[in-house]
Amino acid sequence: MRKRYRYVALELASPLVAIAFAVLVGAVVIAAIGKNPVQVYRIMFTFAFRRLDSVGIMLFGATPLIFSGLAVAISFRAGLFNIGVEGQYLIGTFLAALAGFALKGLPSFVHLPLVIVVAALGGALWSLLPIYLKVRRGVHEVISTIMLNYIAFSLIHYLIADVFMDKQQGLMPGVGNPLIRLPKIAASALMPRMHGFLALLGVDLPRHVYLNWFFPLGLLLAVAVHYLIWRTAFGYELRAVGHNPAAAEAAGIDPAAVQIRAFLLSGLIAGVTGLSDLLSYFGYMDLDFPKGYGFTGIAVALMGKNSPLGIVLAALLFGFLNRGAEGVQTFAGVPMDTVVILQGVMILSIVVASAVMGRYIRRQERKEALGASW
Amino acid sequence: MAFLELREVTKRFPGVVANDRISLEIDRGEIRALVGENGAGKSTLMKVLSGLYQPDAGEIRLDGRRVVIDSPRRAIELGIGMVHQHFMLIPRFTVLENIVLGSEPARGGLLREREARRIVGELCQKYEFTLDLGARVEDLSVGAQQRVEILKVLYRGAEILILDEPTAVLAPQEVRELFVNLRHLRDQGKTIIFISHKLDEVLEIADRISVLRRGVLVGTVRREETERAALARMMVGRPVLLELEKGPYRPGEDRLVVEDLTVPGPGGRPAVRRVSLRVRAGEIYGIAGIEGNGQSELVEALSGLRRASAGRILIGGVSVTEATMRRMRPVTEGRVRRARPVAEGRVRRLRELGLAHIPEDRQRRGLILAMTVWENGVLGLHRSPSFARRGWLQVRPIKKHAQSLVREFDIRLPGLDIPVRNVSGGNQQKLILARELGREPTLIVASQPTRGLDIGATEFVRQQLLRARDRGRAVLLVSADLEEVLSLSDRVGVMYGGELVAEFRPGEVTPEEIGHYMLGGRARATEAAVGGTRGADGAGGTGGAGGGVGPAGGTGGAAGADGGVRGRGGAGEAGGTGGGMA
Repeated sequence: MRKRYRYVALELASPLVAIAFAVLVGAVVIAAIGKNPVQVYRIMFTFAFRRLDSVGIMLFGATPLIFSGLAVAISFRAGLFNIGVEGQYLIGTFLAALAGFALKGLPSFVHLPLVIVVAALGGALWSLLPIYLKVRRGVHEVISTIMLNYIAFSLIHYLIADVFMDKQQGLMPGVGNPLIRLPKIAASALMPRMHGFLALLGVDLPRHVYLNWFFPLGLLLAVAVHYLIWRTAFGYELRAVGHNPAAAEAAGIDPAAVQIRAFLLSGLIAGVTGLSDLLSYFGYMDLDFPKGYGFTGIAVALMGKNSPLGIVLAALLFGFLNRGAEGVQTFAGVPMDTVVILQGVMILSIVVASAVMGRYIRRQERKEALGASW
Repeated sequence: MAFLELREVTKRFPGVVANDRISLEIDRGEIRALVGENGAGKSTLMKVLSGLYQPDAGEIRLDGRRVVIDSPRRAIELGIGMVHQHFMLIPRFTVLENIVLGSEPARGGLLREREARRIVGELCQKYEFTLDLGARVEDLSVGAQQRVEILKVLYRGAEILILDEPTAVLAPQEVRELFVNLRHLRDQGKTIIFISHKLDEVLEIADRISVLRRGVLVGTVRREETERAALARMMVGRPVLLELEKGPYRPGEDRLVVEDLTVPGPGGRPAVRRVSLRVRAGEIYGIAGIEGNGQSELVEALSGLRRASAGRILIGGVSVTEATMRRMRPVTEGRVRRARPVAEGRVRRLRELGLAHIPEDRQRRGLILAMTVWENGVLGLHRSPSFARRGWLQVRPIKKHAQSLVREFDIRLPGLDIPVRNVSGGNQQKLILARELGREPTLIVASQPTRGLDIGATEFVRQQLLRARDRGRAVLLVSADLEEVLSLSDRVGVMYGGELVAEFRPGEVTPEEIGHYMLGGRARATEAAVGGTRGADGAGGTGGAGGGVGPAGGTGGAAGADGGVRGRGGAGEAGGTGGGMA
């Protein structure tokens, strides 16, 4: 069936078409603010790819998005929309930070895994209520997870600022106010950076790059999710329920049970999203801890078509765009918001392109199948 | 000269010639049947005629002039109207509103209802349609809804009416009435194209019959000059076994026992009322009835997909009622309850007891359309030791299994890796059948197993069910196709209004009598026990359908003739109505 490969190629082409279109729109925007698009794009590329630190920063930037993208994709596959990855990772990160500073004297090989598990459980905890409400009460998960995101924001704010704030911070000279943050995480819970390993390979990563072992962990997780979805009985049920719960039910699969498990799994993965930043870059959680990974994760899953490989690629693309934006801002005087526009257009056009392409492919496949059965 | 003429019309799709140089001449005032198996090109041809497709070659002539039908709007301007198989009506609108919808007589944006009523009323009178224009469409019988559809097309000035499988959803009496209406239309000069694959109907109503096979016009014959077997041969290119081979009837022990089962419907009101029946090993128990009389809910209750509110179900002597009833008490009423999980492992337990379910809506309940053929081949079996080891799918055995299903059941596919969505309806059903019968069940619940299938696939499905019966399986067959129920079943029950209103062996009763039960007449030895309070219901139902039963004068008579044998409540009304109109 040589034609099937053609369809796969077409399927892959749709994100590329969308990216090309977004680049075009971005060019118009750049031209509108009086800059030369070609030059700006060139700076973006050279800044991102010619410098070793940029590449490392891109990979570091992609790391949380791999986790949040996978979390969203698993729920999508089960026919659910987990819009709550945002709140789930904040809760997970908070609990991880708590376990990071509260537990002392543990060896690293116990403490670090423990903190990761706590973060995952925190994410799952925050996904428990929406899925319970969904299967028992019919409350749509989009509504409940969005609402829980706000609750998570406020709750974290309260817990950091009023309950667990680090009162013993030594004030930096010249800075009047202490940071509103949790106590620092014990060294035994921090994730090592990849510098040592890369040095062995002859790559000398600069100190200001925080690329750490969560990146390869994310890649491993993507591989694991791939096998889970396509090669396990649970993944089979998950897809069956996602496509057609009525038929799954008639076949003896309990759609509610599958959806609960899928959603909790999504929450588990979501919970780990913030750890790359927490356990290597910050070392503590403060009020300004990066937000938005959950929402960007939705875009990443969408762009990656809910496939783990696609998600990794999409996360890298976002990492590149963010790093490129910094370069463009510094060296071309183009505001970073231009790149945000680029991202937005890209997501919109990818949705359109994949819908159009999907319809075309299905029509072709149908005709072909009809032809064969005649 | 022919009124409508198709000259060498060709429509190609990639890899397929759906219509290959088809030439047809249809006269004004003719009923022309178009028959052929699914995929023969009937629908494509009609889509060309109604402006949905453009032919790649050939021309269409109307009244001697060449026309180009480039849109459905253009088709209706030319007087070509399509009556769809699935009605395109708005349930909450009245009959009148539905008919004029889209081309309302209006002045300054205001609907001129009296004007509309006058025009539509005249149409009804002219073509002798019985319809209450003020009634809401949702309150109408299926037959009446179909009349609304036909009137819609007439209101828009159609001279040529295309009816796509119009009888698929009708009871025998309603079919007769439809035919009476169609003959009226023909006698008033309308031209009718009637698509079907029910040969008996075609032979009854059509003046001429055109047969398509694989995109080619095999021939056109006059009704008087042909007969069933000849037509069937033209359609499939080989003689079709219309009399099914059936072993001797040797029923064994009870495999399915249903006692006083009551099942709530979607609105919460009982859709199945105190139904009792038994299905034994080695027999096919058929349930006939017009759709929507509780058959679906009965099947869902038996297959674990819907909770019963009272009564008992035993499968192979094991009461599955506790399983079925365990969590039946709703926490809250209404919408919320439906959000609760229904299955809770019950379906799986029933399947383990040997139940195989062939669902009525194969695309909704039977298959995951987006998943591949090989994945669908193990749906429900995917946790069995041969296909999953420690949670890992055993892809090679699964594909091998699918391969053997495809081979044994003669499923024709371009490959196992394609999504089931792209497989034809007949092959989809074969796949379900292969999967469900392949696991050696003891009890098979088959609901509308041949709906929408072409003759070849229908024949195949029926033979498989008979083979299962001959091998000692118990089969519960639910079908709206009366002929199917009667020719396959060893015993037959008729459902009406959620009750089993009659039970007999085929051959004991005439189709007309069965039709009478299907419309709410009752006759059963157990009637005294069940009947008393329900008499009013039955009569009400009959009364409502009365307008529709009219032209079937013969029915009342036939039913009356052998009425003496059994007690019968509703016979009076039906007979009376028939007599009155006749």
